[in-house]
Amino acid sequence: MCVEFEPRIVAFMCNWCTYAGADSAGVARMESPANVLPIRVMCSGRVSPEMVLRAFRAGADGVLVMGCHIGDCHYSSGNHRTIKRVPLLRNLLGYAGIDPDRLRLAWVSAAEAPRFVQVTKEFTDTIRELGPLSQEVAG
Amino acid sequence: MEYKNVQTTCVYCGCGCGLYLEVVDGRITGVWPDKTHAVSQGKLCIKGWNVADFVYHPDRLKTPLIRKNGDLVESSWDEALSLIAERLGTIKAESGPNSLAFLSSAKCTNEENYLLQKFARAVIGTNNVDHCARL
Amino acid sequence: MIEDVRRVVAERLEELDGVVALRRSSEGVAPHVFRKGDDLSELEIAPRYPLMTVVSRLHKAFPDIRLGIVARGCDERAFIEMAKREQVDPDRLFIIGLACTEEEAQECHCSAPFPQNLLVGTPPPPGSPNPMVADYDALSLEERRAFWQGQFVKCLKCYGCRNICPECFCEACAMEDAAWVEPGLLAPPFPVFHLIRGMHMASRCVACRQCELVCPAHIPLTVLYDLMRRDMETMLGYVPGADIEASPPLSVTLEQAPLCVTVEA
Repeated sequence: MCVEFEPRIVAFMCNWCTYAGADSAGVARMESPANVLPIRVMCSGRVSPEMVLRAFRAGADGVLVMGCHIGDCHYSSGNHRTIKRVPLLRNLLGYAGIDPDRLRLAWVSAAEAPRFVQVTKEFTDTIRELGPLSQEVAG
Repeated sequence: MEYKNVQTTCVYCGCGCGLYLEVVDGRITGVWPDKTHAVSQGKLCIKGWNVADFVYHPDRLKTPLIRKNGDLVESSWDEALSLIAERLGTIKAESGPNSLAFLSSAKCTNEENYLLQKFARAVIGTNNVDHCARL
Repeated sequence: MIEDVRRVVAERLEELDGVVALRRSSEGVAPHVFRKGDDLSELEIAPRYPLMTVVSRLHKAFPDIRLGIVARGCDERAFIEMAKREQVDPDRLFIIGLACTEEEAQECHCSAPFPQNLLVGTPPPPGSPNPMVADYDALSLEERRAFWQGQFVKCLKCYGCRNICPECFCEACAMEDAAWVEPGLLAPPFPVFHLIRGMHMASRCVACRQCELVCPAHIPLTVLYDLMRRDMETMLGYVPGADIEASPPLSVTLEQAPLCVTVEA
């Protein structure tokens, strides 16, 4: 018997934009993948590389870091750090032999419930294609 | 301001890695691996890196402690040694030398370890001697 | 060359409280603070230790102390990154710059084997890049993963890489935090343990190579950190240790340190 692989995805969502957008999607009864485990942070800039790495270690096959668009950050420039940090971490994962596409940065505002659905669906499909992150990496 | 690096050997395992203790005005401020050491070649394990941690540790004993009425109480060396001599003597007489065992430590010198095992074997009369490195 | 170093140090000791350099004794060679009147025939320039760490400790412990340092290119780069982060005081440090030899530059694959404040020696040609770094892009994901798993399985978690690094001065280190690195596991979890350091080194690594020299397991850490340095330059136009005026880009806004590439979000 073969059980189809369902990706486990951790999504860090900033409180002011993405989390509100996700909540809005839920209230509007939009369907988004159940594979996504939301973790609310006050700002996407708060997401440290060790949080992302720990998520992979804990069993995530993919990690999303989501926040406000540049210019809309509730703390002015928190997401400026995010937009620099995530691409660097994607590259570092690639250097270690982990597909960089397992980590994605996406800006989703509070008014963008459909975009939230689109991003999470797309990302889940991407990770389903990539397959499970090896047992050697997960704890 | 007095700065010096004092060469010494790690007190933990038998590798005997070389290191320097950095001392500023009489206080240890850090550890440097000895890059000229033939065995350790400028590398240390986690114990070697933290070898000086016990020196200023708040739990480090500064006086002997004797348990009185269930509590450990600070005492003098004289009192402690007298108590040890009296109790070891009594136990040896009542229960025999092999009811006693002696545990030594890597933080003692070779000479101190020699003395302890000599004491155990020649004075007390037991071979029950061991060392923390075996634990 | 060493005689020139000793001569310059002697001259500078006339006005400095001390000069940080290596000292040879009957017990070996170790970092030292030479004072006026000390026997400078004991001053050495090898083997290399991260001497800027000594400066940092002393600057913090003694707010008025004025020091000199015999510094190679990497020491000066370490100084620049430490100065930005207020770990050393540039106003209380005189750099006696020393050029590396061609052999030393090659050993370290160093692209800048001499300091800007050069006082002794002539700049050698830069060392050629580490072939493993130069050819890295050709490796597949599987090859990379297999390589690093084979390397990191040797890691004894001695924290030597972190302890010896001149840029690692955090009092609370993420690599010791049980929230991110599960305690009690040897080999430490791949790749969490080493990639935390990889990321933290991105804007700090000055390619002094001390981490790799101190690793008892001979893990080629500098390969990973050289790749991060390459990204820092490509993505953010930043080279750690090059410019004391340049703010560490990951800590500041896009206006202060813009991206040089487009990032899809």
